[in-house]
Amino acid sequence: RYVRQLQRLQLLFSPTAADARGARQFVEEAAQDFARQHPDVVLYVSPHSGPGPAPVLRAEYLNGTVREELVASKTSEEIVQLATKLANQSGLDIIRIRKPFHTDNPSVQGQWHPLTNKPSILTVQGPRLQPQ
Amino acid sequence: RSEKPNWDYHAEIQAFSHRVQENFSLDLLKTAFVNPCYIESEEARRRQLGLDKDAVALQLQDNTGLTERGLRFARAYLAQCFEGAYPELPAKGIEALVNFLTSQELVSYVAQNLSIQDLTLCRDFPAPPDVLQRTFLAVIGALLESSGPERTGIFVRDFFIPQLIGKDLFEIWEVVNPMGLLVEELTKRNISAPEPRITRQLGVSTVLPVYFVGLYCDKKILAEGPGETLLAAEEEAARVALRKLYGYTENRRPWDYSKPKQGLAAEKAISSN
Repeated sequence: RYVRQLQRLQLLFSPTAADARGARQFVEEAAQDFARQHPDVVLYVSPHSGPGPAPVLRAEYLNGTVREELVASKTSEEIVQLATKLANQSGLDIIRIRKPFHTDNPSVQGQWHPLTNKPSILTVQGPRLQPQ
Repeated sequence: RSEKPNWDYHAEIQAFSHRVQENFSLDLLKTAFVNPCYIESEEARRRQLGLDKDAVALQLQDNTGLTERGLRFARAYLAQCFEGAYPELPAKGIEALVNFLTSQELVSYVAQNLSIQDLTLCRDFPAPPDVLQRTFLAVIGALLESSGPERTGIFVRDFFIPQLIGKDLFEIWEVVNPMGLLVEELTKRNISAPEPRITRQLGVSTVLPVYFVGLYCDKKILAEGPGETLLAAEEEAARVALRKLYGYTENRRPWDYSKPKQGLAAEKAISSN
């Protein structure tokens, strides 16, 4: 079954800074809808008062990776899109994938080895019998 | 994790039940996460802080009963699954598979990737693997109490059986004498004893020879296996023959994860405990 890999989202913002306006609008309008649509993600909203660090959305995944995204000067819809993008990701590292395909069974009928098509020693060869 | 900021235990537990897509009764789930070592350490800490006897005794129950029930159900259900899927496999093989699936490393690996290590209450941090194993089995026991054996069976199937993908039978089940086991199996089916013959060989006089030994019963081929020396090749051929007989080859049909229609089978598993 499908288990969503996002464990919790923490939105840290400050109620007075100018670039956190989108974050504040998100909290007022869209946060409840988001939380209801994703019941398996815990959403924490923590305002820290005063001019503090920039507003950030921190995502923690089931395998332990923590990913932070800056949400300064973003509108509410953009934050919603960002949150859904994080919710659909898994916690694997974001690195370049060397090849877009991978199989655990590289060969269906058995990999070729130098003895595949040689007849066995035990087949009897006579003047009229040919090895089949 | 509970010491860092932004932690709400109740919300986390609700999110856990949604993540796994099962309905739990929340107090059963909360008791499932409480380990006996946590209760002891909490009582010791409160005694050190100087509270009197009544306040020291915590109101929490621990999860030992749930763990036992979860373990018994999981083992019975998995054994039944394997008996249905591989009817030829002997009892020792099924036992080896079930032991592998309920072993500490596997269960603690599954538990860690389901965020159980954040929700357990126990004495040491990070939680040691046997604690994680017991907590996960207690969660299975809690699910058994809340939703009944069918849903718990589906849960066990969905989380434990994919761990067998890509694994070979004899990696899990250690067999010391495959040739003897093969002879026993063949006598049970009334086939004559296997006769090993060299089928192909390469590089006999070099450092790395390869011998293909085939096992023949009544001049019909049973299995063929490669090896470095003749003895190794014979043993490998015996293992290949056993895999074919038990139906655990690499090209068998993959596991069937569709919705089960047998509610009776799961109830038999419960009643046989």
